[in-house]
Amino acid sequence: MNKKKRNVRTLAAVLAILGALTYLIISSVSETGIYYRTVSEVLASTSLDRALRISGKVVEGTINVDQENLILTFAVSDMEDRTRTINAVYNGVVPDAFKEDVEVILEGNYDRSSNTFNVVTLLAKCPSKYVAEVSAEDPANQQYGR
Amino acid sequence: MSQFGTYTIYIAFALSLASIGLLLLGVKRNDFRQLLAGRRAMALTSLFTTLAAAALTYLFAADRFDIQYVYSYSDRALPLFYKLTAFWAGQRGSLLFWAWVLSLFALLVAHNTRHDLENRTTPYIYLVLGGTLSFFLLLLATLSDPFVATATKGFTPPDGQGLNPMLQNPGMIFHPPTLFLGYVGFTVPFAYAVAAMVTGRVDETWLKKTRVWNVLSWVFLTIGIILGGQWAYVELGWGGYWAWDPVENASFIPWLVATAFIHTAIIQERRNIMRVWNMVLIVLTFVLCIFGTYLVRSGILQSVHDFGATGLGGFFLAFMFFTILVGAVLIIASYRDLKTDHSLESYLSRESTFLFNNVVLLALAFSTLFGTLFPLLSEAVTGNKLTVSQPFFNRVNTPLFMALLLITGLCPLIGWRKASADNLKKNFMGPGAATFAGALGLFAAGIREIYPLLAFSLSIFVAATIIREFWTGTRARAGLTGESALAAFPRLLWKMRRRYGGFVAHLGVVIMVVGITGSSAYKVESQATLRKGQSMAVGDYVLRYDRLGKYSDRNREVYVATMSVFKDGRSAGTIRPEKRFYSKADQPTTEVSLRSTLLEDLYVTMPTISDKTVVTFRAAVNPLLIWVWIGGFVMLAGGTMAIIPRGRRRLITHEIEEE
Repeated sequence: MNKKKRNVRTLAAVLAILGALTYLIISSVSETGIYYRTVSEVLASTSLDRALRISGKVVEGTINVDQENLILTFAVSDMEDRTRTINAVYNGVVPDAFKEDVEVILEGNYDRSSNTFNVVTLLAKCPSKYVAEVSAEDPANQQYGR
Repeated sequence: MSQFGTYTIYIAFALSLASIGLLLLGVKRNDFRQLLAGRRAMALTSLFTTLAAAALTYLFAADRFDIQYVYSYSDRALPLFYKLTAFWAGQRGSLLFWAWVLSLFALLVAHNTRHDLENRTTPYIYLVLGGTLSFFLLLLATLSDPFVATATKGFTPPDGQGLNPMLQNPGMIFHPPTLFLGYVGFTVPFAYAVAAMVTGRVDETWLKKTRVWNVLSWVFLTIGIILGGQWAYVELGWGGYWAWDPVENASFIPWLVATAFIHTAIIQERRNIMRVWNMVLIVLTFVLCIFGTYLVRSGILQSVHDFGATGLGGFFLAFMFFTILVGAVLIIASYRDLKTDHSLESYLSRESTFLFNNVVLLALAFSTLFGTLFPLLSEAVTGNKLTVSQPFFNRVNTPLFMALLLITGLCPLIGWRKASADNLKKNFMGPGAATFAGALGLFAAGIREIYPLLAFSLSIFVAATIIREFWTGTRARAGLTGESALAAFPRLLWKMRRRYGGFVAHLGVVIMVVGITGSSAYKVESQATLRKGQSMAVGDYVLRYDRLGKYSDRNREVYVATMSVFKDGRSAGTIRPEKRFYSKADQPTTEVSLRSTLLEDLYVTMPTISDKTVVTFRAAVNPLLIWVWIGGFVMLAGGTMAIIPRGRRRLITHEIEEE
């Protein structure tokens, strides 16, 4: 086999791998990508057909825990405009950092008719001072506890 | 003492700048005395960084809360061990640690090259090391001085804020420094590479001289990543060890590129090809190490708007940009020297499997980097913040990992230079048959999902090729020396440890793949709220909640639940998850209780205690998980084995043996 042919073959194989990679990345982004929105944006937008990630603050006095059935309900308000709120329902284990007035990130689906967010993943931001200076040394200082 | 620390940093910074100046002058005027002075200044820098590190350690030990950094990461009740290691709990101390280690490495390099100062490359090696050191000392002297006093002058807070409870764990203590040792270590090969290009001496000398640095840095990076995973597993309590979190990715991306590099370095040493490629890889590795340091020490990934919020970002970006620029210019300028007449002789050769292994490793690094930075990219480009998380990485990277495994298996079956298809077929028969039989067995045993089946089968394939390699080597040695196979095998491994160290590392990878596949594909989880005497089931286990106890020690109150474990109806001991309330933390931490066997891990946490009688438990069975750690250990053992120096006397015979 001459050198040219050999190089063409190698190049073709490398290109095939790169092509596969491009396809994988693009298809994965479109299938697993999640929009990151604020509570106000969710309330304002008209079409929400895919999974969302929203950030907001847990409204004081709205936390309700049904420990037997592991169902947690609470309201989240917009970080800036505290009067805009969404109700959240979560079935699962409550993270250590979750409490009133703490910043949370919710992943799940929003149901407009009942103004309720069905939470699949609940992350609570550590309110602690650790965030201030070293935000993320590792998941250790990661701002969002699992 | 606090001012002492700041002054040592100033002096170290001045010395490192002086060394750069002297070395530049010495190179320009070809003045040996100035080069020598430059070298001395660089070596002396390490004395002052050491003093700075000692000062910070002392301030922690002495509870000096008038120092902001100590105040932020320590308190009186903290055990001494954690006080001392709180050194690298935050950004400022970590940067000091970086600079300190780099200065010690520079000292070591200066010692190793003490007879090579006439060599034209040596001053440039010092210059790169001194330049990088100056960058970190600049940060420490300006934006990131760990010795800054607490805001109010003349007032000493009675106690510090304490160390994040999640960091009060032995695994977390050694994770950052090992990772940093790896990051810092790659500065040395980078320096040699730059020096080689500047002076036009781009043969394989720089690779040979830095081989130990490369592999050792890789080993430290690997230890750091594994310790991080282990810490996440036992401390974070969500049941896994890897979540494709930005901070995890920040260490994984340079690891992938470094892994690619140590593979093609072998090719260059053997065949003197891929010289341009290796230069690109070492520059990339170094930049990614800096990037990793930056990423884990700043909040950029929250939003683009945080970019450079601490001011540190701008410095790091400028430094990375400068490094890439210098690297690119040097590679382009020395392209003629780097280019070789040799090229791959055949696409069916061992060299080409290394090439493909590189393409796949870089593809993995790229997709991981892309996913990590994607929220920033999408926000910058479209204004919409679209994020990707675990599902993205699993979807993209799993097939790439499979391809990597396949290549790892094929590599030793294909000869160097140019292999014949017949030869490959012959070599393939044994491992191929083993894989086929194994896959059938797995299928019959009920493993039907495509990825687990593929991962396990490919693991069998790679393991079979390695065993075949061990076997042919042992047989050859036994035939030559008359030893029994049993005696010949360990001697073979030891005598040719450079070659077989690689295979041992691959064996470790295979073991890890088995552990990762088992624990991710066949995990069983369950959660329940129990009263005393009630039970929950998870997998083959039944857990009965017996009692809740409470004790206090040092800086915390601990609630501990005792559960009786029954496996397949038989008693299998007890398990004790904990909930800890640290006096200095405003949230409790959940402590995992683990029952680890070779077959599976039982993993129990207690996320919620509402009163003394009702407790929520979360339990998981993670099959084969322990093999992730065992495989990691084997991989590290292989890597370490490959760089244990040979005795001088026997050098020649080994060279012959290895050919």
